[in-house]
Amino acid sequence: MALKLSDKLKHAVRFRLLRTLPTCQQTVETISQSMERPLTVGERIKLKIHLWICVWCQWYMEHLHLIRDTSRAHAAQISEPMTSATLSNEARERIRRRLTNQE
Amino acid sequence: MSEAQAKSPYQSPDPERWLDDHGDYLFKYAVFRLRDDIVAEDAVQETFLAALKAYESFEGRGSERTWLVGILKHKIIDHFRRVGREAPIGEEPDEGPEHREFFKRPDEWQGHWNNDYAPNDWHATPAELMERSDFWKVFNDCLSPLPKRTVSAFTLREVEGLKSEEICEILSIKVNNLWVMLHRARLHLRNCLEVNWFKREQ
Repeated sequence: MALKLSDKLKHAVRFRLLRTLPTCQQTVETISQSMERPLTVGERIKLKIHLWICVWCQWYMEHLHLIRDTSRAHAAQISEPMTSATLSNEARERIRRRLTNQE
Repeated sequence: MSEAQAKSPYQSPDPERWLDDHGDYLFKYAVFRLRDDIVAEDAVQETFLAALKAYESFEGRGSERTWLVGILKHKIIDHFRRVGREAPIGEEPDEGPEHREFFKRPDEWQGHWNNDYAPNDWHATPAELMERSDFWKVFNDCLSPLPKRTVSAFTLREVEGLKSEEICEILSIKVNNLWVMLHRARLHLRNCLEVNWFKREQ
């Protein structure tokens, strides 16, 4: 089945872009940097175009933000049921002894 | 002492009650950030001891728990400071897995995602993930093989939300090293979560 001309054109454009733009390996580094500092205009444009043609890097970026948002939200309301962690009885006793000796 | 006691009804500290009222909360707070029961228990104990000494500065202003958490925060930062100091001499501050294989390809697309490691759609939101305690278990297991300083940098940045300069000061590293460490931690953690959590969930 022959591809439509417009599809062929799209493929050709994507191919050229992927060939000339930074690779995914370079792009994921830029994505990480974008979470630490403002990107330069050049970096921003290259990243935008790369993300436009590469769903893998789109997801990569989404995941990094999801990890950050989830970690921070969780840290903000730590008392929620998420962690069943409690002081063990041994630790509790040890701290109690230490505190009462202190007085 | 008796003069001070007369000032307010809060003057006599009750550390045993603190332990009952706030012990578990402080422990949860600490263990999520320190990822180690023993270290977290120590931080809680240190917090109570420091609170006893500094009790006069509290004097019942504000909530007791907020005050204790404030002290605990300092104890946690102290721990990360020690990690920064104690990292073996000669150890590169930016060491850690490179994961070059993620971008190795047999074809002419070298440097782009290898199909086996390429990200997938996770279909997840922070709200649903947060409530899964088994997710946090996987999360911690994924971080554990990373170098201590890298995990510390990651925690201070992504959990505590500290600024780069603050983290560099605490861990005694340069900002470029910090960025390299964060990048490697993210690359590793994202892949590990995908393999060990998201692929199994779907």
